[in-house]
Amino acid sequence: MNGIFSKGPAGMAGPAWHARRIAPIAVLAVLVSLAFWGSDYLLSIMILIMCYMAIGQMWNLLGGYAGLVSLGQQSFIGLGGYTLAKITQVYHLPVILAFVLAAVISVLFALLISIPVFKMKGVYFTIGTWIVAECLALFFSTWSFSNYAQGYTITATYAFSTAQIYLVALAVGVGALIVVMAVLRSRLGLALMAMRDNAAASEVRGVEQYRTKLKCFLISAAVTGIAGAALYLNQAFIQPANAFGISWTVSMVFIAIIGGMGTVEGPIIGAVIFVLLRQALYNFPGISMMLLGLIAIAIIMIAPRGIMGIIRRKTQFEIFPVRRHPSA
Amino acid sequence: MDILLQSIVTGVLLGGLYAIIGVGMSMIFGIMRLTNIAHGDIMILSSFLTMFFMQHVIGNPVAALLLTIAVMLVFGFCIQHFLINNVISKGDEPALLVTFGLSIIVSNGLFLIFGPAARGVPTELIRTNLINANGISVSSMYALNFVVAVAVIIALSLIMGRTSLGRGIRAASSDTLMSELLGVNTKRMYVYAMLLTVTTASIAGMLVGMTFTFYPTTGTQYLIIAFGCVVIGGMGSLVGTLLGGVILGLAQLVGASFLGSAYQQLIGFLVLLVILAVRPQGLLSKAVRK
Repeated sequence: MNGIFSKGPAGMAGPAWHARRIAPIAVLAVLVSLAFWGSDYLLSIMILIMCYMAIGQMWNLLGGYAGLVSLGQQSFIGLGGYTLAKITQVYHLPVILAFVLAAVISVLFALLISIPVFKMKGVYFTIGTWIVAECLALFFSTWSFSNYAQGYTITATYAFSTAQIYLVALAVGVGALIVVMAVLRSRLGLALMAMRDNAAASEVRGVEQYRTKLKCFLISAAVTGIAGAALYLNQAFIQPANAFGISWTVSMVFIAIIGGMGTVEGPIIGAVIFVLLRQALYNFPGISMMLLGLIAIAIIMIAPRGIMGIIRRKTQFEIFPVRRHPSA
Repeated sequence: MDILLQSIVTGVLLGGLYAIIGVGMSMIFGIMRLTNIAHGDIMILSSFLTMFFMQHVIGNPVAALLLTIAVMLVFGFCIQHFLINNVISKGDEPALLVTFGLSIIVSNGLFLIFGPAARGVPTELIRTNLINANGISVSSMYALNFVVAVAVIIALSLIMGRTSLGRGIRAASSDTLMSELLGVNTKRMYVYAMLLTVTTASIAGMLVGMTFTFYPTTGTQYLIIAFGCVVIGGMGSLVGTLLGGVILGLAQLVGASFLGSAYQQLIGFLVLLVILAVRPQGLLSKAVRK
C-alpha cells in the first residue's frame, strides 16, 4: 500500500498523484467558467495575464532553458499583430485564419533571421535580435503594404465580447503552458537541460546544439506570434513603433526574472505580479516600470532563481514537474 | 557628385559623434566583459543634466558639463560599487540583466521628471557653418563633435597605455586572479573604469544634446549605435571604436543619399547586422569571440 508521500512509478496511483492530476483540471474549469460570471474588468485583467504569461513562457524557454537571451522577441509580437490587422482589416477574412498565419509567418521569419543571428554568440545574439526588431519597426513605417507609420485600427475586435476575447487569451495562455511542458518533457527538453548543464559534454553525447536551439527559437516564435495576435485583438490598434517596441521584451524579461528563470511556474507568477502592479499604478506608467526594474535588480542580486526559486528551496514544491524520475 | 561628397564629409563627422558615444561601452566591455545595456540611457541622463544645469544653475556650457560630470561620477560609482561589482563574478547573464533593469529605471525616471517632450541643449554652433564652399558645407557642431571625439579617444588611449591607473585596469581585465594575487584590487579597478566611462558618456551626452533633440526614451537608439561602433571596430579596441563610428556614419549618410533619408537608420542597422554575422569579433579586434 502506497502512502501519501510515495513517489516514483510504484506510487503513480497514490492520492498525491491524483491531486496532481486533478488540480490543474479544476483550475482550468474555474478559469473557463470565469468567462460566464467574471466582470468585464476582471476579464480584461485576466486577458493581459494570460497573454503576458504566454510571451513570458516563450522568453523563458529561450533565455532560461536554451541559453538564448533574446531582446528581439517583439519582432514576433509585431508580426502577429500585423497579420491580424491585415487579415481582418484589409482582406476581411476570419480571425482564426489570422492566428494560424501569425504562427506561420513568425516561424518563417524566425527561420530567415536565424541565418544571421545564429552565427552570433552570447551577447551578440542578444543585441543582434534586438537590431532585427528595430529594423522591422523602421521598415514597417516606410512600407506601403503595412500602411506606413499610421498602422491600422483593428475593428474586428468590436465583433467580440470581452468574454470571448478572454477565452481566446485563455486558449493562448494554456496552450503556451502545454507547449512548454511538452517541449521540456520531450527529448528536446532533455537535450536543452543537458546543454545548459554542460554544453561540451552534451555535444559529445550526441546533442546537436544548433538544431536544438533552432527548434526552441522556432517554437517560441510561433507561440509569441499567436500571443501577439491575441494582444492586438485586445488592443484594437497597431502602429510599428509600438508593435515592434522593446517594451514588449522588457515585460517578458521582467516576468521571467521576477517569477524565476528556468522554471515553468515562474512566468505564471511573474505575469500575475507584472499585470497587477501595472494595473495598480495605471495612472503612473513610469513609476510601475521603475518599480519593476528595481524588483528585477533586487531579485537578480538576492535570489537569482526568482520567486519560484525561493519557494522551491523552502518547500521542494513543484506544480509542473518536468524532471523525469530515474527509474521511470 | 556634390551630394555624395557632402554625404561622405558629414558621414565621417557624424561617425566621430558615434565613436564618442561608443567609446565608454567599448571600455566597459574590454575591461569587465560586460555589455552595459544602460549605456545609452546613462548618456541621455547626462544630456538632461547638462540641459538642466545650463537652464537653471549656470549658463556656461563648459561649467554645466563639469557639474554634470561631477554628478555622473557619483552615479557611476554607485552603480558599479553597489550593483555591478556584486554580480560581475556570477557569469554574463546576471550583470547583463542588471544593466537592463538599470536602463528601464533611468529612462522611466527621466520620463517622470522631464515628461515626454523633445529637448535640446541650447547652442549657436548647430546653426553656423565652419566651411561653406564649392557646395560643401561643414557644420561647426559636427566639426566640434569630431575633434572632441578624437581628443577623448587619444586621451583615453594615453591613460590606458601610459599611466599606472591604466596598467592596473588592464591587469585586472587580462587576468583577474593573478592581479588579485599581486595586490591589485580588481573591483576597485572596475570602479575606476566605470568612472572613466561615465566621464566620456557625459561629454557624449552634451554633444548629442547640442546636435540632436532628445527624449527620455532616446537612450536605446544610441545604445544600438554605441553597440554598432564597438562591434564594427572590435569590442575593447579604442581606435577601432572610432573606425566603427565612421563606418556606421558613412553607411547611414551615403546610403541615405542613394535611397532617401527615410532609410538612413535602417541602412545603418543592416550594415551592422551583416558585420555581426560575417565578422562578429570586429574589424580591428584580435580577441577570440566568446
